[in-house]
Amino acid sequence: MSAALTGFQSSVLKPALDPLDLAHEYYVFAAAQVGEPAMTTLLNAYRAIKTQPAQQIADTLLETSSVSPSAQAQLAQSIVAMWYLGSWYVPGVLGGGGFAPPPLQVISSVAYTNGLVWRVMQSHPMGYSAFTFGYWSQQPAPLSSFGVNTGNGGGK
Amino acid sequence: MSASTPQYDVVIIGAGVSGNLIAKELGLAGKKVLILEAGLSVPDSREEYMENFYLALAKTPESPYPALAGRKGSQSEPVGHLDNPATMPTPRATVLTLGKSPNISYLVQQEPFNELHPKDPNPQNPPEDPKTGDVRGLQFSSTYERNGGGTSWHWLGTSLRELENDIRLKTKYGHGEDWPLDYTELQELWGLAEKEIGVAASVAQQEPLEVVGLKYLSGYQYPMQAIPTSLVDQAVSSAVAGLQVPGTLPNTPGGEDPTLYDVFVSPTPQGRNSEPYDDRRVCAGNTNCIPICPIQAKWDPTVTLGKALDTNKVTVSYQSVAYNVAVDGKNATRVDYYQWSRDDRGNLTKVSKSVTGKLYVLACHAIENAKLLLLSNSQKGIANSSDQVGRNLMDHPLYLTWALAPQPIFGYRGPLATSGIESLRDGEFRKYRSSFRMEIGNEGWNFSKGDPYTTTMDFIQGTNNSNVNPPPGGSGQPVRLGGLKLVQQLNNIFTRQFRIGCMFDQSPLAENRVTLDVDKSTGKPNNVDGLGLPRPKVEYGLDPYTMEGFRMAAYVCSKVYERMGATEFTKNEVGGAGDFTYQGVNYHYYGAGHIVGTHRMGVDPKGSVVDASQRSHDVQNMWIVGSGSFPTVCTANPTLTLLGLAFKSARSILAALGS
Repeated sequence: MSAALTGFQSSVLKPALDPLDLAHEYYVFAAAQVGEPAMTTLLNAYRAIKTQPAQQIADTLLETSSVSPSAQAQLAQSIVAMWYLGSWYVPGVLGGGGFAPPPLQVISSVAYTNGLVWRVMQSHPMGYSAFTFGYWSQQPAPLSSFGVNTGNGGGK
Repeated sequence: MSASTPQYDVVIIGAGVSGNLIAKELGLAGKKVLILEAGLSVPDSREEYMENFYLALAKTPESPYPALAGRKGSQSEPVGHLDNPATMPTPRATVLTLGKSPNISYLVQQEPFNELHPKDPNPQNPPEDPKTGDVRGLQFSSTYERNGGGTSWHWLGTSLRELENDIRLKTKYGHGEDWPLDYTELQELWGLAEKEIGVAASVAQQEPLEVVGLKYLSGYQYPMQAIPTSLVDQAVSSAVAGLQVPGTLPNTPGGEDPTLYDVFVSPTPQGRNSEPYDDRRVCAGNTNCIPICPIQAKWDPTVTLGKALDTNKVTVSYQSVAYNVAVDGKNATRVDYYQWSRDDRGNLTKVSKSVTGKLYVLACHAIENAKLLLLSNSQKGIANSSDQVGRNLMDHPLYLTWALAPQPIFGYRGPLATSGIESLRDGEFRKYRSSFRMEIGNEGWNFSKGDPYTTTMDFIQGTNNSNVNPPPGGSGQPVRLGGLKLVQQLNNIFTRQFRIGCMFDQSPLAENRVTLDVDKSTGKPNNVDGLGLPRPKVEYGLDPYTMEGFRMAAYVCSKVYERMGATEFTKNEVGGAGDFTYQGVNYHYYGAGHIVGTHRMGVDPKGSVVDASQRSHDVQNMWIVGSGSFPTVCTANPTLTLLGLAFKSARSILAALGS
């Protein structure tokens, strides 16, 4: 489900060899925030449509064409934000005054350094570079090499 | 111990840039030195600070360093709980407490309109004084640290030299002040500082800046090769080729300079390693110089502190807050300080102690130096026959503009800044308006908009705080995206974001000043820190000369963006800390952390606090060092110059010790 929601390959979110196990950490964190039933309901909604193309799954669960997203869609938003930014944003709390809403917390330092947003910008987490001296004067690798799911397969 | 045998050759207060360098130089000469450092010791590993940074809700400059906000936000405390400075042993000015009341903000300042009237729908900026045109009642927005290593844990690493006319502004242009030093002497001192830091730069690359009076001693070479420029730098540089701007705009008060000046980009000399240096690694482009370099590829004062301690002649006493320098006649005789500690339950205790030296060095930071001088001698003050202590407080007020390039230029990569536009730093226009340098950022809209957070949440939640997600077709709701569409849209925005920060040679104004926050009639403190010491009160404003620089900077930025085909998104608000209005246009300034001027140097003891060696005019065995000695803030970031001045002070201290 997270792969469909985020647009990344599930092998990025949950690698075969996964010492960090962020997927588990995130599930536990979100469930503690919103309760198991809300998580189960969202997962069931996903399971009902999981054979559809990934973008369609994302659009459906996030209710991207709805004027007022349901509480369940807002939970899905928070899950996307968690993967992208490594922080928990309380569902339905919007930013204002020119800035994002304040997160409740950064889930962990590993969550920060594994945020997907840094891949989206074809870079590295601010404060955690795996690149070497001078890389910034050269073009980055293409976006497709950062684990983005460009295929049409369903999420896992 | 008899009063005639001081415990140390030199007692230094403050383990930052200047204090550590002077300690090292004295230690190498075999002198016995004590450093009193108010804050906590340098940690064994910076991983502790990195963890603070990763978990901080807001990645402000102070976020990695001790005694910070909590790691949990709430509706009422969005950045986490901020402790009352009255409960903290070494509270300091922070970005998160800017513009807040004294139960949150350590510096006691006029609060901005929005803080005083949170419900008022019509925010206002402070009015211009009809006589002078000055805007008073503004917030001083720069912050600093109080810990081992000091504020320069989070300096950017920019190691520019001042220009020849920066230090003779009054003689050349009739504005501001001259420095009591000549350029040749500074060139030699900068060379020493560049070696200490390990500055990466190329004299050949800097040569075009001869047009603004940047000069090197013949044959000079920087310690290591220059840092490569970023893709953002390259995009700006090629776009501005041939661009010229006038010295002044129409309606500049005071006069006009219609000369056309060339706009061009120069690689910035930087205090980060392009090759291994001093057992430190090469820069890996973590894009995090501020708040913290994770690998210490960037020099910071703890490097020099380590060398000082290696002499075995230097001792540091941490958690030691000086509150009085006793003076007898023309000599300082003793420093009184509180040694503080917290027990397991967080209870704060303090013990009053004293220490003596043959000579004394105040190196605790521009605002803290002024505070200590004013606090000494039962709040009657010392070294202040000129009445200049605490006055002429300056910063490089920083005007930020931001834009989207027409094609990807890949910010968020490399050191935070690798180039700037330095070609507009000098000219006849300095008679009429403040000069400025322009720093090109490699960090997208991180500074400008709190990105990547703001734009990401906009496209997830369907909001438009970033202004890049307006409702399609101009009405209705901004879009909400997920999946690959979200990836592609965010990639499209983030890879095109960049910003320019303009820093001004602000006028020294006597009324911009640090005083003690005490009741004038009783002398009793209004607001204290956790040790019971009065806190610094800061009054601040801008004059038309400085504000006219903002108007010009906004114009030049718009020209640069126009040349690039970039779309500018700069937005200046009203009524908050750093907001002001000039000639009917709203501007916002940030603090640059370049806190300057509170114990200005000069030849005349009547008009200055220290001489060119940073030795007190009044107290002969005391040096007051750091950027507080700068007569003007000039056009270069100050760390290199203040480190150079510390070398000069160390020499004069050694001479005074008779070695």
